[in-house]
Amino acid sequence: MARLELDHVDLTFKVRSCNVITLKEFLLGKIFTNKTRPNMEVHALKNVSFCVEQGERLGIIGHNGAGKSTMLKTLAGVYQPTRGKRIIEGRVSSLFEIALGFEPEASGWENISFRSYLQGETPKTISKKRQAIADFTELGDFLKMPVRYYSAGMLVRLAFSIATSIDPEILLVDEVLAAGDLAFQEKARNRMKEMMARAHLMVMVSHDLGSIQTLCDRAIWMDHGSVRMFGKAQDVIGAYMNSVKPETAAA
Amino acid sequence: MLSYLSSIWDYRYFWFSLVQNDLKQRYRGSVLGMGWSLLHPIAMTTILCVVFGGIFQQDYRFFGPFLLSGMTVWNFLTHSITMGCNSFFAAEAYIRQHPTPMAIYPLRTVLGSGFHFTVGMLLVVALSLWFLGFPGIVPILTLGPTILMIFILAWSLSIIFGLFTVIFRDTKHISEIGLQILFYLTPVMYPPSVLEGRRVGYLLKLNPISPFLELIRDPLIYLKTPSLETFGVALAITALTYTLAYSLLRSWEKRIIFHL
Repeated sequence: MARLELDHVDLTFKVRSCNVITLKEFLLGKIFTNKTRPNMEVHALKNVSFCVEQGERLGIIGHNGAGKSTMLKTLAGVYQPTRGKRIIEGRVSSLFEIALGFEPEASGWENISFRSYLQGETPKTISKKRQAIADFTELGDFLKMPVRYYSAGMLVRLAFSIATSIDPEILLVDEVLAAGDLAFQEKARNRMKEMMARAHLMVMVSHDLGSIQTLCDRAIWMDHGSVRMFGKAQDVIGAYMNSVKPETAAA
Repeated sequence: MLSYLSSIWDYRYFWFSLVQNDLKQRYRGSVLGMGWSLLHPIAMTTILCVVFGGIFQQDYRFFGPFLLSGMTVWNFLTHSITMGCNSFFAAEAYIRQHPTPMAIYPLRTVLGSGFHFTVGMLLVVALSLWFLGFPGIVPILTLGPTILMIFILAWSLSIIFGLFTVIFRDTKHISEIGLQILFYLTPVMYPPSVLEGRRVGYLLKLNPISPFLELIRDPLIYLKTPSLETFGVALAITALTYTLAYSLLRSWEKRIIFHL
């Protein structure tokens, strides 16, 4: 049974204006430097609690910087909550920042292996999937080339094909539907739908309210790091759109 | 701790394939390819033998294996430190995507230079057998635990320096200078007897690298079993470094991503 729960989760991190400690700071300590170079503390998630059970499809919506992607990364375990608990039952597969993390000098084929191993495949399981992944990319002989010669679109094709080759229990998705050229986008959309249908539980972040409405049954509306509303997808999207409308009218 | 090690083991295919890739890329497009990792230490030893063999008036049959054994251990440890400094930055994209035990990224760099260490050690053993003769079963067997300790030490060092570099970027540059100073205080190129009796002689005793060199050189160069005392000191240094690496890792691991 897949299950995801966040229990009173807070996430804060400090960002230095320059992100590094300089030698001067190191030697002089906090006495002189704090006034001129204050640490900015980002309170990305504020007291977030919710629970998603087996079979549910959750959409996360909200304005830019509301903490949607941060929440997804916290669910994935990439970010550790500062306070509160993250409870997870089931194997997590995530689809975000997929276009990063290739070994530039290695070929497409080799990168298929690296990424699949990272996703938990073994040489046995991968030998079956390898060809299917390669076929889906439609890159053909380009797969023998080091990926640093790939165009952005080709990289996305490769990344998407590998990332969606898994059989997910818990699937976490951050707006990846716009992948590659027009023909590939259509293919990718179908593949995502299949994958989402197979997943026991799904959480997705998107600005496309339409796709949230069709793909998800529940939704969370994030606002400046806290949960503004959690409930049926239709209700939450409705409330969110109502809150946005007056602003645009005023503008 | 065991559960942590086993989670590293769970990712074995991932980090092992990356290590293989690193080695492959290193010699990409070169005619000799992997042959370089054999030829490089041979060439370096020959050059140093000719230059310093004359200065220290040493016989090449002794000085060759002596130099090579020192350089092999020294290079392994310093590469683990200087490349360990970058190990988390190099893995940023993976770290942002997938929660893994962070120790696998320093492990990747250590195993990469560990390959050259292995080649170098095999070469030392071959040279030693050829020039100096067979030291006996027991001295040879002590190399097993010695090499295991050196490997654990290298991994721990690269974790420590990797973590420090993430928090404090100047670590890399400072450590490079520090290592250069340490190099002259370590009997890598010269026999320990050169410094003994002088005022700086006590520095050799304080040098944390010396016991490891002794453990390697006693069986292979001096054809004797290393003393239990040396083993004890080396073990203590390894255990201390390991404990420091592990506790730093456990407390900082989850915050690394916010500093990359």
